[in-house]
Amino acid sequence: MIYDHILVRYGEITLKTRNRKMFINALRQNMKRALADFDVELNAHWDRAYITLGDEAPGAVMDALENVNGILSVSPVAKLERSEAAMKDTAVHFANGFGEGDTFKIEVKRADKSYHLKTFDIQQMLGGYVLDNVPKLEVDVKHPEHQIMVEVRIDGIYMYHEVRQCIGGLPIGTGGRALLMLSGGIDSPVAGLEVMKKGVEIEAIHFHSPPYTSPQATEKVKQLVDIMSKRTGADIKLHIVPFTELQTKIYDWIPDNMSMTTTRRIMLIIAERLAKQVDAKAIVNGENLGQVASQTLASMHAINAVTNFPVLRPLLTLEKNEIVAMARNYGTYETSVLPYEDCCTIFKPKSPKTKPVVEKVEKFESKVDFEPMIEKALAGIECYSVNDAEEKEAFRSLL
Amino acid sequence: MDNAATTRPYDDVLDTYMNVNRSYYFNTASIHQAGREAAKLLEASRRQVIDLMGLGNHDCVFTSGATESNNIAVQSVLRHKKPFGRTMLISELEHPSVINVAEAMKDEGFNVRYIRALSDGTVNMAHLGELLDDDVVFVTVMAVNNIVGSIQPIEKICEVLKQYPRVHFHVDATQAVGKIRVDYSEADSVSISAHKFHGVKGVGALMAKEVKTLSAITYGGGHEGNIRSGTVNLPGAAAMARALRISDEQLDESYTRVAAYNRQVREALDGFHAVQIQPSGVPHIMNISFTGAKGEVVVNALGSHDIFVSTTSACASKLSKLNETLLAMGNTQPVIEGSIRISFSSQTGDAEVKRLITALQAVHNEIGDVLK
Repeated sequence: MIYDHILVRYGEITLKTRNRKMFINALRQNMKRALADFDVELNAHWDRAYITLGDEAPGAVMDALENVNGILSVSPVAKLERSEAAMKDTAVHFANGFGEGDTFKIEVKRADKSYHLKTFDIQQMLGGYVLDNVPKLEVDVKHPEHQIMVEVRIDGIYMYHEVRQCIGGLPIGTGGRALLMLSGGIDSPVAGLEVMKKGVEIEAIHFHSPPYTSPQATEKVKQLVDIMSKRTGADIKLHIVPFTELQTKIYDWIPDNMSMTTTRRIMLIIAERLAKQVDAKAIVNGENLGQVASQTLASMHAINAVTNFPVLRPLLTLEKNEIVAMARNYGTYETSVLPYEDCCTIFKPKSPKTKPVVEKVEKFESKVDFEPMIEKALAGIECYSVNDAEEKEAFRSLL
Repeated sequence: MDNAATTRPYDDVLDTYMNVNRSYYFNTASIHQAGREAAKLLEASRRQVIDLMGLGNHDCVFTSGATESNNIAVQSVLRHKKPFGRTMLISELEHPSVINVAEAMKDEGFNVRYIRALSDGTVNMAHLGELLDDDVVFVTVMAVNNIVGSIQPIEKICEVLKQYPRVHFHVDATQAVGKIRVDYSEADSVSISAHKFHGVKGVGALMAKEVKTLSAITYGGGHEGNIRSGTVNLPGAAAMARALRISDEQLDESYTRVAAYNRQVREALDGFHAVQIQPSGVPHIMNISFTGAKGEVVVNALGSHDIFVSTTSACASKLSKLNETLLAMGNTQPVIEGSIRISFSSQTGDAEVKRLITALQAVHNEIGDVLK
């Protein structure tokens, strides 16, 4: 039994009409990148895409497509000659893989209306043949556990039964670019991946304060970027900002209970400037209403006052256990909970203000000239991306 | 003992050069898969060069060497700056690849003024201050002088030029790389040449803060951001990136070792009345005069002992005029005419230095009767 195609069903692309072509082109590019290691042929049509497998294993190709944004589901497909015998053999082959007592149904689509058998004839013929040859099964046309799909086309008959759900959403790159504030905690990677679902390309910004924060903490954030990149097929660029000087200045000059607010404000100022540099149209973070002192409504108000950029907070109203479940599903959780302190936890004030007042914060901040330090931090940004890292590895022996 | 003229490539560098020629011989501008892989290697090499030079905010253009880098910098920046002023300041210690292109730019209506040198072979900062005015748009000073090894106050010059935002400051770092660490981050452009730090010949780089101030001086297919056309010498560039890394890794150890060699030679020649040694900058370069003899005679005499040194800057040593650098430092004619340059590298060993000292003493005895 040989599968020779993978059928790719589109997610939200199907809601698009006049600009659908642009979305399909983006998805084609992303699929191409995800399938770079395979020797396959890709044909993206108006309503679905087909991948011709050649000698590649269908399972591995589907694994590679599973997390490509914009794909609703994939199925391995067998293409047969247009004969009854071929249909019967294939149907029984599929059915042998079903469990004891499972229910099934035969679904038929006749794209080629000239075929000598009608829909109902094919259903009856195959249903009966399967029941005769695989006695462990039953038919259920309302809620079957398995559907054997038959598509009659001019060039052959296509059959499949397995449908693997994928991530859905829109292809990355169709929704512009945003800058994700990535701390290394549980929430921010999830926030990034949620936004990416909507086709937004992400670059990430991380603040580290050596020697107060360890190299392992930075390594952990790089690992998160690796996981996110691998999952989405996008090469996410990480910008690592040296924050020690600003952090210690804040610590020395701003009253303890307001230091957290100022820290966040300066981070947001730096994020906004970087966003402009990389042509990002929004800033994304993992803030969750009321989770910690800096994420109360009053704190968000005081912190947000430094920027006019849209700040997207996709996790705003979720419960922590929901976010954890999402992180586990995305595969970021295990890395996020590694016990390395980031710069926010190390300089944590004893009792941060939960209701900071903008005017007061500004008054204290006006006593210090943060500008040159902000410029210096921006100039000292180090970049990291999976591609770069892989390239470095590949060329290490030469350079 | 002529490592300021050129150096022997490290074995690892030659491995890279051969391997890249074998496996990545594709044109980096090709759009097929193999060309793209080659382009990736080129970019990785570029990043490594930029990182090792400490020039994170600069772009890097691969060239055929420092001569071409200096030419691109001087010609294109001056033309770009013409609306703002027409004067360039260059130290009188510069290498001909800077001096000669500067002189040629006079034909295009630019003025060249020379910053005087002190007797220790460094630029006279006071004189630089006097020369700076509103018409100055370009200043260039080398990081390390190739004749005597004097280390120029690059960071200090950057500090002074901060008050002249219109001025483009170019540094020819050819002789400094692998010998001393210099903070070039404030310089607007920097030239390097691979063969001076154990890379292969025919490759160098020009790093620039504002790449848009640079433009082509030779025209072609638009490689290297349209600044340096011609199929990119990827094997050379990758080999240069590797040579730079190895040079950087061994810098501290070799500096200490070479400084000891420098002292040994000075001590061995101490008390030879006709021998005059120029003040030291980097320990790798020593300029020694056998006053009363011709430099050429000393070079040939040392050659018969299998010791190879040079008279002046090797590229120009066939010119029979007095060396500009030594003249600028206020040396007399006999001292300049009798000067030779001995230059060590990270690969110079104890035994070679011993042989050098023996040969120097022997030559001094051989030609002693012409020495006054």
